[in-house]
Amino acid sequence: MILAIEDLTVSHGEKIIVDKVSLTIDKGEWFALVGQSGSGKTMLSQAVGQLLGPNLKASGRVMYEGDNVLEHPKEKMNQLRGKAISYIFQDYHGSFTPFLTIQQHMEEYLQTHSVQKAQRKEMIREALESVGLDASFAKRYSFQLSGGQLQRASIALALLLEPDILIADEATTALDSVSAHRILSLLQELQQKTGCAILFITHDWRHVVRYSDKIAVMKDGKIIESGTKQKLVHQPEHAYTKQLIQAAPTLPMRVMEVSKS
Amino acid sequence: MTVIEIHNLKKSYNPGKLAVNDVSLSIQKGESLGLVGESGCGKSTLAHCLLGVEKMDAGSIVYNEEPIAHANRKQLRNYRRNVQTVFQNPTASLNPKLKIRDSLLDPYLQFKDDLQLKHFHFTSKQDFVQQLLETVELPKGLADRYPHELSGGQKQRVTIARAISIEPKLIVLDEPTASLDVLSQGAILELLGSLQQTLGMSYLFISHDLAAVYQLCQRIAVMKDGELLDVFRKEEIYDSNRHDYTKELIDIF
Repeated sequence: MILAIEDLTVSHGEKIIVDKVSLTIDKGEWFALVGQSGSGKTMLSQAVGQLLGPNLKASGRVMYEGDNVLEHPKEKMNQLRGKAISYIFQDYHGSFTPFLTIQQHMEEYLQTHSVQKAQRKEMIREALESVGLDASFAKRYSFQLSGGQLQRASIALALLLEPDILIADEATTALDSVSAHRILSLLQELQQKTGCAILFITHDWRHVVRYSDKIAVMKDGKIIESGTKQKLVHQPEHAYTKQLIQAAPTLPMRVMEVSKS
Repeated sequence: MTVIEIHNLKKSYNPGKLAVNDVSLSIQKGESLGLVGESGCGKSTLAHCLLGVEKMDAGSIVYNEEPIAHANRKQLRNYRRNVQTVFQNPTASLNPKLKIRDSLLDPYLQFKDDLQLKHFHFTSKQDFVQQLLETVELPKGLADRYPHELSGGQKQRVTIARAISIEPKLIVLDEPTASLDVLSQGAILELLGSLQQTLGMSYLFISHDLAAVYQLCQRIAVMKDGELLDVFRKEEIYDSNRHDYTKELIDIF
């Protein structure tokens, strides 16, 4: 077990957005959190890294290496973020500062975590190469990259310090399905190489089926059903889970595949 | 019967690079044709040329056996009435200052002098608005609301109701489900399918989602880098002579 969320509640004044959610993520697994807009999945993921705005209050426990992350002071959290827990967001343009090059973003990231200057250049080159971007991208600004390229750069950035857990919050929702598929295959490949766990937040059931090991379905701030992919895909119990599965259009099975099974 | 024909359409934004390169397509009466491809493949540019939002560089669009380039004012007006559209972003498609009722009635008021509606029969504008809302399965009470009071899925239903209100021959659907939540996406696809059965218009359904296109369309066209690579009937999707790129797309879903 790498991360355990226990009775996590996020509230905005009187309004409860995440309602006593518990889940555990094992080392190196792909954990999918599925739900509609407004189900509270983003708030849950942001509570883990203490990224919630001041008007939102998180209570409960988020256990990482025996400590409750929610109680960490700011300095300790800064050390953890990036090194142990890192993020990729849906809005790739918002993840970069328009007046810094990709390299400058990475330099800043490494500097914050006190990596020696001598090592940085090589680390940046390797990180970009691992996501299929050649060295020339280091000198570019974010607006000179396409959506798919930017999301690759944010993966390179997020995996730079080999975190134990990567939180991908609708990381491919803004991309077309072909680019989305390429990004997710890349993420899967890198996950196998680095062994980091992924908390994958999405509303697209098709991505869930293809990539995840474990699934939790969230509705109105609560986890209504969770389990292994095998169980949720083939024997969903909750009506809402069935509804989500049905809503995503799929191609019919190939005749070939049907006869095989 | 063919509703619309596109012949050798070319469009370029940057010298030396064609956004749409020599594409020809036709859409039959009552048919839905799916147009699939990645971002930047030229599928929306093609739709914009069809709608007259963009000017094409070469090629022709033939409607009612007349190239629209040679159409006179009256024919052009007739074309605009018969080719309606639903865009990706429903919020940007509705005037925030107009009540839903007024947005819905806008095309009707524009064209009412030369309209002869077959499906909708109504006694008053009020009655018409109620019928339109009912057709897209929205509560009648929404007529007096403003767009910001509606959800994304509800707003997209309003833009669909507005497009069908004057019973066009063709509706260009440019990624109509892309900005919606997964449950609304499924519901909108179902609605579009059943509307086509009752009203009999044709669709040009543009999407990067091959599975969604498969659900709604009888024929599918695949575009990449401005070129049309493959056109086939839905039943032929797994045929061995499909283009390699089409096979790549199929693998993703």
